[in-house]
Amino acid sequence: MSTDNGRGTATAPPVQGAGPHPSPSSAGRRPTAFAAGLAVLLLVLVALAVTAPRFATVDNVRAILASTAFVGITAIGATLVMIAGSVVSLATAQTATVVAMLFLATQHLGLGTATLVAVAAGVAVTALQGAVVGYWNANPIVLTIAAGFAIGGGATWFSGGTPVYPRTSAFEVLNSTPLGLPLSVYVLLVTAAVAQWVLSRTTAGRQLYLIGENRPAATAAGLPVGRVTVLAWAFFGACVAMTGIFLASFNTSATVTLGGTLTLDAIAAVLVGGTAIAGGHGSALRTLGGALLISAISDVLLLRGFSTGVQILAKGVLVLAVVITVHVRTTRSRR
Amino acid sequence: MSAPATGGPLDAFLRVEGLARSFNGVPAVRDVSFTVGAGEIHALCGHNGAGKSTVVKMLSGQLAPDGGRVVVEGAVVEPNSRRAAQRMGVALVDQELSVVPALTVLENMLLGDVTAPFVNRRRAAAARCRRILDDMGLAHIDPDQPLAALGIGERQLVEIAKALSQDARLVILDEPTATLSDAETEHVFAAIRRVAGMGCSVIFVSHRLSEVLELCASVTVLRDGRSVATIPTEDLTVDELIVRMLGSAPHRLSGTRGPDRGDGRAMRIEHLHVPGRLVDFTLTATAGRVHALAGQLGSGASDALRALAGLQPQATGTVELNDRRVPLRHPARAARAGIAFVSNDRKSEGLFLGMSVERNLLATRLPGLARAGVVRPRRERRAALSLAQRSGLPEYRLDAEVLALSGGNQQKVFVGRCLGRDDVHVLLLDEPTRGVDVGGRAEIHRLLREAADRGLVVIFASTELDELLELGDVIITMRDGQVVGRYEGEVDGALLMRDMTHEADGT
Amino acid sequence: MIRSRLSRPDRLMPTVSLGLVLVAFLCTPLVSGKPLALFDLYNALQGFAQLGLLALAIGITMIAGEFDLSVVGTYALGGMLAVEFGQTSPVLGVLVAMVAGAAVGMSQGGLIAWLRIPSMPVTLATYIALLGLTYAISGGLSTTYPNGDATLWVDQTIAGIFSPRSLLTLAAFLSAALLLGFTRLGRELRAIGGDRRASRVAGVGVERRLVGLFTASGTLAGLGGALLSYSFASANPDPGLQPLILAAVGALLGGVSLAGGRGTPTGLLAGTLSVALLAQIVAVTAIPDYSTQLLYAALLAVIVAIESPGLRHVLPPRWSRNRQADLPTPAGTREAAGRP
Repeated sequence: MSTDNGRGTATAPPVQGAGPHPSPSSAGRRPTAFAAGLAVLLLVLVALAVTAPRFATVDNVRAILASTAFVGITAIGATLVMIAGSVVSLATAQTATVVAMLFLATQHLGLGTATLVAVAAGVAVTALQGAVVGYWNANPIVLTIAAGFAIGGGATWFSGGTPVYPRTSAFEVLNSTPLGLPLSVYVLLVTAAVAQWVLSRTTAGRQLYLIGENRPAATAAGLPVGRVTVLAWAFFGACVAMTGIFLASFNTSATVTLGGTLTLDAIAAVLVGGTAIAGGHGSALRTLGGALLISAISDVLLLRGFSTGVQILAKGVLVLAVVITVHVRTTRSRR
Repeated sequence: MSAPATGGPLDAFLRVEGLARSFNGVPAVRDVSFTVGAGEIHALCGHNGAGKSTVVKMLSGQLAPDGGRVVVEGAVVEPNSRRAAQRMGVALVDQELSVVPALTVLENMLLGDVTAPFVNRRRAAAARCRRILDDMGLAHIDPDQPLAALGIGERQLVEIAKALSQDARLVILDEPTATLSDAETEHVFAAIRRVAGMGCSVIFVSHRLSEVLELCASVTVLRDGRSVATIPTEDLTVDELIVRMLGSAPHRLSGTRGPDRGDGRAMRIEHLHVPGRLVDFTLTATAGRVHALAGQLGSGASDALRALAGLQPQATGTVELNDRRVPLRHPARAARAGIAFVSNDRKSEGLFLGMSVERNLLATRLPGLARAGVVRPRRERRAALSLAQRSGLPEYRLDAEVLALSGGNQQKVFVGRCLGRDDVHVLLLDEPTRGVDVGGRAEIHRLLREAADRGLVVIFASTELDELLELGDVIITMRDGQVVGRYEGEVDGALLMRDMTHEADGT
Repeated sequence: MIRSRLSRPDRLMPTVSLGLVLVAFLCTPLVSGKPLALFDLYNALQGFAQLGLLALAIGITMIAGEFDLSVVGTYALGGMLAVEFGQTSPVLGVLVAMVAGAAVGMSQGGLIAWLRIPSMPVTLATYIALLGLTYAISGGLSTTYPNGDATLWVDQTIAGIFSPRSLLTLAAFLSAALLLGFTRLGRELRAIGGDRRASRVAGVGVERRLVGLFTASGTLAGLGGALLSYSFASANPDPGLQPLILAAVGALLGGVSLAGGRGTPTGLLAGTLSVALLAQIVAVTAIPDYSTQLLYAALLAVIVAIESPGLRHVLPPRWSRNRQADLPTPAGTREAAGRP
């Protein structure tokens, strides 16, 4: 009954087979592509830096590190949230502001207590959002806009709209510069190391990647989606809180606008670190690299006399380039 | 024997010649030829994997053929998109529901219709929609109702109504009646006959063979990607058609394996109910035997497994595992109770595609390999290696992305993930070998058999006769959300097929 | 009939929110002790004009299941360009702003549609870049707009409560309502947002629609920025995130879902009017600003609760009746053909 008319189509070479069946070295493709991209960027940077005056001086490196710290700490935390597939939080700046106010208002209880209260507040507020996202699968954007209003409104209520001034100045310790670097830089490095360790070496970290990669699959496999999501957001909350504390110490007072552009700056750093917004990929160290890269580029442009506008423009273009590269790279391997 | 059909009463409207298409070098359609006359209702029948859906995709502009050609009224056509196909007058009811719940019924009818004017003519469109709905027996549906307010069956009817109302010259219906009741099916058939009466050709793809014989003038039988025969339906009975589809009918002798060990370990399922999908499903699955749920799309076999895995939020009933109650409706709790589930959709609900084989194999057992929440890479590696060995995966590919594996190896990763765990007592698999080649299939069958031998409760759902007969110690046939029959020992494949596809209609 | 109209969230949300806010607005004399003046309504409409085009721009992308963050960037850039190019001819300034917005939107839309990138990161990057561009053009400072005639013209009172600016904004909503309500574009947009795969299979040209959509969104945002600059007689290089957030709130109150597939321009209009009226109520009654924020938080919390898939399973069935509607049995009353 069979109609083998010898067209030989059964053995015809696959027309679109080249895509989905990459060579066995597919595991090695990711680093090479990424390395190539990085290499180009580094070359540009080096070229710019060499020609810029005073770029490669110790003072300048310190300046870059110092300017990375505040946004960097928050970005490390945001990395975990983005890896979990919860996209982003739009309440970051408000959370940092509230934490800063709390921190300054509780100074009379002692630096340790004040820090503890501030971090606990940041963790509680953020983990609560994480719970709604993790257990109820709520839309994180609407949720965090709502949280932003609630926190911002609370902050205004709390402060009466006036700046919060501390009663003692014990927090000045946080502005110290051991070995010539601000304390915040050390905190940034420690945070990055801890986050990297959590992501790569703990069960929760592994599960975080799995949930971000494919949430329905994680649910069907019975993974603790809700709990792990809450943990990621709690860590994020702690990071935002630390940024808030440093912001408060640096400014020695806190107003409702203290958080400034922290929200988007942090997201930009995470994206430049190559973390895909859809989740499942990324690392704390890469985010650290992204934050440093943004600072370094701004610094180079500053040294070469470009305006703030050009610096921001360059940041936007950088984010766009990385987002497209990351996306094209991941989808090419899926087609 | 792909000679032009003689069944077509009128001139050939559509001629398909030697159509072929492979995916990643695996041929899905090798050589399909048939002819459909103008105004003819023509069936495409075939076992699962025979290539029906691929043929439909090529005819409707969703896939480009690798070989062969499509001739419409004597001219070769190459539709390269749904819109292009529509302009040629090809309407489609896709196997997957392709109506948008966010729109109203009327809007769905008009969506993507190339003949619809840019500026809505609401009154005319609504009147036409009303007429079409009435013709389909949907008088109770308001065109302005949002589709989301309708049930699955009614949504399917709306999609069929849409395809039939497009003044197309060829309507392709891919499994249109799988989720419909008898009364609804009657309306659909009447509507199909009406459009055919107006000269429109119809291609009807269905697993429900009695329906095929009732509705269609002739059947083209596909097997292994080839068209093996085109036969006028008046010469056919369901049993003959089954034989044609299967080649030689598979048959299993009794007592080949899988005795009941009777050590009392079992999963007892009582009155499992999923609204609209599964009615009063009761089964006691003993450890050590492989239980097969045989049922086509919409039969409830897949829904039963999903309900057991906690993925049906509306499921009710009693499930006990080794005399302990298993919570329904909570996937994480079901997993804790020792139930591992292999979904039929390994891409979107199974594997973590962008991650390595090792990460996938270990995904569900991370806490067991860690100490105080900290992973131990060496121990993980050993576990992954032993799992890879047991599941028949090449060890050197542990670090490869799952995405880069063949379908068979991907499925081995999925099944392997559930093996070798002391805390898993039940293995549920929905279509365990979908999209898997012959070699991979045998290995996955071996894995399931081994799992049962180790004392697990194994239940799988499948639409493939060979698989059911090869693997199932106990075969439960299902149709329309209900259990039809239960077989142990000697089984005739044709009998199973009858249960799955055919109304008992008193015989 | 009214009940069935209101049973749909895209109608219920804007009706309820606008109704509540209107009642509150009419009650303001009880708190402020001053009778309502036409001028209060004029002011509310001015607030609406400031927000409206932005809300429309972001709202239409949300209907199609995308989220265009870059509209604030385009808004800022449009305002700056209008001031730079519109000193002698205000119309030229508006045109430049709109063309720039269209160009930005079109290139973004192209990227998003053909590379199938999620719109969030792309539009976020564009937002940052546009902000930088605006900064660079202006040197980071507010630029004053010396053409006083134009400033007076856009804000002159018409019929007591309108101004050319608010009328233009209303006209934009009206044309969007006509276009989406009476042509195939409306259903295609919602189909793209509701189920992209099904839309493709049904034969909708998804990519072309997305490009057109982002172009429209950019154009609207550019126009909004230009009108705002004329009104303020200056352009602000960094409006911050607040306009975006308020526009998104207006869209959400207007019954648009972030998941896509739901919403109408009239709903958007009602949602945006609610936000503008609320701001006016706060201004008239001098109640503290934070109460508005807390109110927004509460409203959005309701939206989150309604739309979370997980919560629906927790709620009793009658709550989720209309959304989880795959209940009717396919099998009807068929008998089981049981075998021994």
